[in-house]
Amino acid sequence: MNEASLPVSRRPAVVITILTIIALVGFLGVSRLVHRFQEQEKALARHLYQRGLEDQQVSNPTAALEHFRAALGYDRENFQYQLSLARALRDSGRTEEAQAYLISLWEQSPQNGAVNLALGRLAARENSLERVIQYYHNAIYGVWGADADQSRLNAWFELVEVLLRLNARPQAQAELISLSATLPMNSQLELHAADLFFQAQDYDHALAQYRRVLQHDPESPAAFAGAGQAAFKLSRYRTAAKYLETALKANPQDAQLSQMLMTSKLILQNDPFGHGLSTEERNRRVEIIFEDTGKRLDACMNSEGGAPPQVDPLPPLKARWTEMKSKITRLGRSGESGLPDEVMDLVLQIEQQTATCPQAPIDQVLLLLAENRAGVEQ
Amino acid sequence: MSQFLHIAPESPRVETSTAPKTRSPLRIFVAANLGEERFFLILAVFIGIFAGLAVVCFRLAIDWTRIGLLGPAPEPHSLRVLLVPALVGIAVAILVIHFFPQVRGSGVNQTKAALYIFNGRIPFRTAVGKFITAALAIGSGQSLGPEDPSLQIGASLAWAIGYRMNLSRDKGRLLAPIGAAAGLAAAFNAPISAVLFVIEEVIGRWSAAILGSVVLAAISSVVVVRWFLGAQALFRIPPLTTVHPTELLAYAILGIVGGLAAVIFAKAIGYFRPILRSMPRATQYFQPAAAGLVIGVIGYLGAPQVMGAGYQYIDQAMHDQFTWKVLAILAGLKIIATTLSFVSGTPGGMFAPTLFVGAMLGGAIGGLERHFYPHLTGTTGTYCLVGMGVLFAGFLRAPMTSVFMVLEVSGDYSIILPVIIANAIAYVVSRSLQPTPIFDMLTRQDGLNLPSLEEQREESVFHVEDAMKLPTDPVLDSEDTVEEANQQIQQSKAEAFLVRMSPSGWSTLDRERLLRFANEGKLQMTLGSLLSGQRLPHLHPDYPLEMALRSVENAPFIPVVSRADLRKLEGIISKEDVLAKYRAAALGE
Repeated sequence: MNEASLPVSRRPAVVITILTIIALVGFLGVSRLVHRFQEQEKALARHLYQRGLEDQQVSNPTAALEHFRAALGYDRENFQYQLSLARALRDSGRTEEAQAYLISLWEQSPQNGAVNLALGRLAARENSLERVIQYYHNAIYGVWGADADQSRLNAWFELVEVLLRLNARPQAQAELISLSATLPMNSQLELHAADLFFQAQDYDHALAQYRRVLQHDPESPAAFAGAGQAAFKLSRYRTAAKYLETALKANPQDAQLSQMLMTSKLILQNDPFGHGLSTEERNRRVEIIFEDTGKRLDACMNSEGGAPPQVDPLPPLKARWTEMKSKITRLGRSGESGLPDEVMDLVLQIEQQTATCPQAPIDQVLLLLAENRAGVEQ
Repeated sequence: MSQFLHIAPESPRVETSTAPKTRSPLRIFVAANLGEERFFLILAVFIGIFAGLAVVCFRLAIDWTRIGLLGPAPEPHSLRVLLVPALVGIAVAILVIHFFPQVRGSGVNQTKAALYIFNGRIPFRTAVGKFITAALAIGSGQSLGPEDPSLQIGASLAWAIGYRMNLSRDKGRLLAPIGAAAGLAAAFNAPISAVLFVIEEVIGRWSAAILGSVVLAAISSVVVVRWFLGAQALFRIPPLTTVHPTELLAYAILGIVGGLAAVIFAKAIGYFRPILRSMPRATQYFQPAAAGLVIGVIGYLGAPQVMGAGYQYIDQAMHDQFTWKVLAILAGLKIIATTLSFVSGTPGGMFAPTLFVGAMLGGAIGGLERHFYPHLTGTTGTYCLVGMGVLFAGFLRAPMTSVFMVLEVSGDYSIILPVIIANAIAYVVSRSLQPTPIFDMLTRQDGLNLPSLEEQREESVFHVEDAMKLPTDPVLDSEDTVEEANQQIQQSKAEAFLVRMSPSGWSTLDRERLLRFANEGKLQMTLGSLLSGQRLPHLHPDYPLEMALRSVENAPFIPVVSRADLRKLEGIISKEDVLAKYRAAALGE
């Protein structure tokens, strides 16, 4: 076949060559345009995202929402922007939309720690304990970007705080035990864990955790204060007094700690069941406590606003106190070894029934002493 | 018009050039291997590449215009949102009226007109005008989309590339649809849907040659777009849920509502467009501006989502960022805004608004259904996707494209059932309430008489079996002698008889000729030996009747034979039979 017989253009090779050259030039030109445009888009997205963050800082979630949405319009695959949008939706009260958006993010990336954390927070808002635990666990064991360990720890601490807020104390205590076992050597984190143990009313672990803090940071006033309070809650008043005294040296103005220290000292001074006390001394302390309780009972009965006569528990208690008064002289005699306990039972009942009357510091001491019959000093 | 004259007639060309004295290896290769078909396929690839480049630029132009005019994040209660669509509307009107009168509307019908009226010609000026005016209109917030303009730009570019190539008339006509498919594929980032739409709505017929070039162009353009803008779809597809069979009822309801919405949409355009076009010419300067002002007010009052193509809002709807009430409101507002933009003559497409309305409506219906039946498992994203297909089927009346579009965009075959059910229902509802499809309605309003492809699809086609008769006269065999044949035809009054030839084939023999054979003393000769070389064409019962017309002219009748056994006669058909059938059909019998 010669070229003259071609049924198409007379110079197909030339045509194809020219078209190829034009296409290449077009590619180069469009490539530059697109590159410029994409740069502009990224810049716009960053700008809008920053504005969204600023809106969040000034507590304007609605404006933040719009800016995050606009940012995503220019960089729609940006996970951070998507997450921020979901958080903004949540913060602006659009829980359902936030949930749906987060779920769609979660479906894209179910191991993502940040998404799971956001979902966990949303569940916390809705007081959904089961989902809280599920999503926070996903976050704790999920995938994080930079500073993954710190993010996981933060999520874990947050989970405990949420559980405490939801009154899920057993779950919180369980999480804390696991968490404290994995904590790095960092007194701040250990102190935080100890505080959470204290809030979870796990005073044993709290005290142990505060002591661990003090091993790393022997001067930590917060750890001394915490240890003192934990020991106080555990009725370990001598230990409490020791830590509280140290804590108060660093912070003498702390009224609560002062009160606790004073109470601890009063208890130690008045405890009839303390180790190493002679029988005489124990009986003397029981008698003093008994007399003080009687005075409190009288004062309370004479005060206004008492209960109606037919339901008033104080007169029977007064009767029992009077009866006990006749027995108390037998303290120390052989065959009366159970008498101190009987006295302290009555003291406990009187203190409990007069709890609504104005209290002097000694009343709390009496109550604590009556509650800790085994002896407060360990 | 001189461009038009470059298309050569279909008859063989006389090439006048002489071969060069020295030929490069490339030229030798090309000369040795290229026929028109192959060259046309290569040309289709280039058309695709250039259409892709143009569409990338077009999308950038729209986005830059939008950022420049409305700001990076259009917000309600902003003066820009209120005024820009109206002010730019005046500029667009001036450009359309004075410089680019061919760029009004979407571009689909113009491309169709180019194919059927202007031998595929769409002047390059149209592409330039469409690019500028549509970018301005969409970028300024008019409620229109970039797909149909991309289609027209692609078609125009294809003509600009191909018209000097000395192509046959048939090939020249195909340039526009090929470019249209490339432009649409690039705009949608979905080659299958684009090819289907162009074949379904513009070309209207399938053939290997057409399909090959259209597919090549579409794929080339999509490759180019993905090269520059990435492979992601126009919107992110959330994970879709597989539907339980009982939930298909929920999608059927979506199909009904979508079909009704499509009818309202189409009827609104069909009603207002002629009214506005019949108004004094001076008002046409202000019609896009008035539409823009209304859209600006909608945006200013709190729904800037209806401005522009709105793909980012489809994305947001699919990701559950709107409540079902908001979605329903947005669907309604978008119908109003798009109707206004389109009937005002502003250049821009209806694909994106259709998808927007469909997505919002789907999400709203899904949300409402889940409100009353919380056990439904379909996500908002699933309903939005199905809704898009529903509006596509109901409004644009491209049922096949609507199904494939959803599948291609979602990349998830699991939603095929709800898509087919909802789309089919929407299509049926729309057809029964609005018999004329939107594109056909627009061409008729423009005074053009383009073939309605939906009507063509629905036309009843007669087959040979509808007109053939059962054979009543004897059928002779090629092994029969002249004497035997004479005996067989004694009882018949017919003048001509069919002869079954061996090993296959058919022939005819008339009574007079048979007598002549007898008189010539050939009584013992077989018919096969006397009729060798005289063969009749045959037909099958399922052939279109028009095919029979080509054969019956030169024979008294034509055998209709079984496809399984070519010697088995099913019937005979004559010219009179064919004409009688057409006559009866014309009389409505």
